[in-house]
Amino acid sequence: MGNVIKKLVIGLVVGGALVGFTRAFEFPVIFQMMFFAYAMLGAVVFMILDAPAVKPMSGIKSVAVLVVFYIVLCTVYISGASMWPQYDPEDEKGKIEKILKPKRAATEQGKADELIARAKALDEQVKVLSARLKDLGGDQATKDQAAGGPGAPPATTGAASGDFMKLGEEQWQLQECYNCHKLKGEGGKKRGPELDNIASYLSVDEIKQKILDPKSFMAEGFEKEYEKGKMPDKYKDLMEEKDVVALASWLGTFKNTSVATPKPIKKK
Amino acid sequence: MKTWQRSLVAAFALLALFGGAAYAQAPGAPPVEFPYTGNRTAVWVVAQLHILFAGFILGAPIFVVISEWLGYRKQDPRYDRLAKEVTKVTVILYSMTALTGGLFIFVLLATYPQFTTWLINHFYLLFAVIYPLLFISETILLYMYFYTWDAWKGEKKARHIALGVLLNLIGTITLFVIDGPTSFMNTPVKAEGISPQEFLATASLWDKIFNYSWMPLNLHRLVGNVTFGGFVAGLIAAYMFMGAKKDEERAYYDWMGFVGNLIGVGALLFLPFMGYLLAYELCDYDASICPYMMADQLSMFFEMQGAMIGLIFLASNYYIWLSMKRIEGVEKVRMTILAPVVMVLLPLVMTKVLTDYPVPDPTSLAFLLPMLLAPFTIGRFIPLTVSASTVIKVGFLMVVVGDAIWLTPHGFVPTGAKLVAELELPSDWNFLALMPAKNSAAFTLVFVTVVNYVIYNRAISQGTIVWGKIDFVSQFVLIFLAFSAIWTMGLMGAVRSLLRKYYHTYNLLPDFTAESFTPTLSYSAWWITGITVVFYAVVSFAILVTLRPSDSKGHA
Repeated sequence: MGNVIKKLVIGLVVGGALVGFTRAFEFPVIFQMMFFAYAMLGAVVFMILDAPAVKPMSGIKSVAVLVVFYIVLCTVYISGASMWPQYDPEDEKGKIEKILKPKRAATEQGKADELIARAKALDEQVKVLSARLKDLGGDQATKDQAAGGPGAPPATTGAASGDFMKLGEEQWQLQECYNCHKLKGEGGKKRGPELDNIASYLSVDEIKQKILDPKSFMAEGFEKEYEKGKMPDKYKDLMEEKDVVALASWLGTFKNTSVATPKPIKKK
Repeated sequence: MKTWQRSLVAAFALLALFGGAAYAQAPGAPPVEFPYTGNRTAVWVVAQLHILFAGFILGAPIFVVISEWLGYRKQDPRYDRLAKEVTKVTVILYSMTALTGGLFIFVLLATYPQFTTWLINHFYLLFAVIYPLLFISETILLYMYFYTWDAWKGEKKARHIALGVLLNLIGTITLFVIDGPTSFMNTPVKAEGISPQEFLATASLWDKIFNYSWMPLNLHRLVGNVTFGGFVAGLIAAYMFMGAKKDEERAYYDWMGFVGNLIGVGALLFLPFMGYLLAYELCDYDASICPYMMADQLSMFFEMQGAMIGLIFLASNYYIWLSMKRIEGVEKVRMTILAPVVMVLLPLVMTKVLTDYPVPDPTSLAFLLPMLLAPFTIGRFIPLTVSASTVIKVGFLMVVVGDAIWLTPHGFVPTGAKLVAELELPSDWNFLALMPAKNSAAFTLVFVTVVNYVIYNRAISQGTIVWGKIDFVSQFVLIFLAFSAIWTMGLMGAVRSLLRKYYHTYNLLPDFTAESFTPTLSYSAWWITGITVVFYAVVSFAILVTLRPSDSKGHA
């Protein structure tokens, strides 16, 4: 028992010192609690190290202890994982729906194209049969056959031209550009350059070129070999033309000279 | 389980594989809707169970054959007995691997028929010819290896060991082959200037297999399987130790537990670096994967991983501590003071060096290698020494510190989008949340463990081990290690799979189903625990049915 109390006191003292230290350096309360918890973990570890030996068990007793041990492990792991902040899938579902919508439409479009191709083939067959009937003297050939022809091109969805800038901002969120680039003081982890002053250096067409071909421009300070491939070369395949133009146009409005956006250097 | 029963299970699995391939050719099969779990979780459960069984049957034979060779070379029958007992369990679990493999194909085909057909078509030669041939070869070799154990003794032992090496060779090739489509789903082939679809249309089978993450995944799984196999060997030993009635049996299973743990920990030391290599290649393939893992949706999964790895390192070092206690004369063992000094300085110095010279800049090695090797090179010239007990206790302190650094997040939020000042590290201390600090933390855990084993080695050379007299709590440590290793495998398996985001095959084949979102860590933990318990129950049953009868007959 003396061992437990001694280690507990040391743990509390170290934990208290860590809380004081972290408070002095203006750590948020949650971090102060976390460092206190680490100190207590250390205390528990040292209590276990100096704990007396456990006597051997056998038979039903050992089986019962084992089952309890497993139940404790399962409970600790599930509750431990549940105590961390949980990502809400609802935050993501809307985004995924928007990203996948054109892809799904493309898939349905593919099916529609196949149907159109089949209809064309049938139409050709009908024409051939009509010609034969005509040759055979049948004067009731289908004069109006062309009515079932290809007709007008399929109606296009037509990009909503109403708020183009909003579409650009939406693409910024959907493609999660904020994960690497800081903009308006938000996002970014220094993986990519801050973009508040990008319009002072690049035109909308050049921004578009950079999105579609990331190696076309390299920002100053991001020229190390292992940094050259950091920006994914995938947006030309993932994004539609109108979305890229909208994103580039939106970024083309950022001309905040008080922010030190690194100068892009043309590479291609 | 008798031979004909095992053969039946293997035949069923092959039937499932070929039947699956044939079924995949049937167009327009509508997907099945799994009640309660949903389709994705159903696939997750079966796939993870299959991987756990497969991981063991591929990992265990690696150290089984090494153990058999050691027994032959040292003429120590304990090694041979260990190898044979683990092989007995492996043979039973081999059937379960085949069974869950067949089930996996069926569930996958029933739930995602279009994707499965697409994948099988891209790897048809592999799924229809190469993999079944390897599977059959491995089946034949495993049973030959097991059933010739007693016949190929004495002069024929070398032949038996060679057979074991061949078994491992085929097993490793099988692992590498099946990692092809698995890694392809994460990092499909791509080339600059060509769309992934266009490049895929012209890519050869080898191009598809030899993708970005294939070799890192191979290495990660290979080392992971050995770790896992070692810890399961420790679990076998713990069960048998607890059930042993004679002192010599307890002595043997105490020894087996130690060896299992040694193998598990030995391979575990390489695992963080293999995991880092895999993550590095994934990020190199597509930099947007990195924030998804570390800063966004999956960031808390990595917090949990840090917690689990910290616990595993604490437990494995605690096992060394308990093992030291049963060595007579251990109190005389001392070590240079440089060892604890380097342990304490390591997180600070390494964080600074890796910040100034980030990976892969080799300049960092010029600073770190002399420091890490100092206790073993110049330590002997320094007269100041400390007791083994002090070194190990400082080591424990640094494991806690290392784990604290590993677990300190940039913010207590599940996604960077929700970060506010009240939940974020102060900017001056943000280095604690960056990769140099995380790498230093991981390396501190590894370094402390290595030093502890060096001390243990000195202790056994200067003292006498009293096998069988280890603290009984050590058996729970072995069980804990196996359980935690399996749980962590499940967690990281989920992470690797979730990295595909809303794609079946990343950036190539979207998953249009309603389940293509990132689940919560809590939800994942429930399923990972469930899978671990089912796996544990089967393994425990396999140990009881295979080893208890032989235990009662006694051993030579």
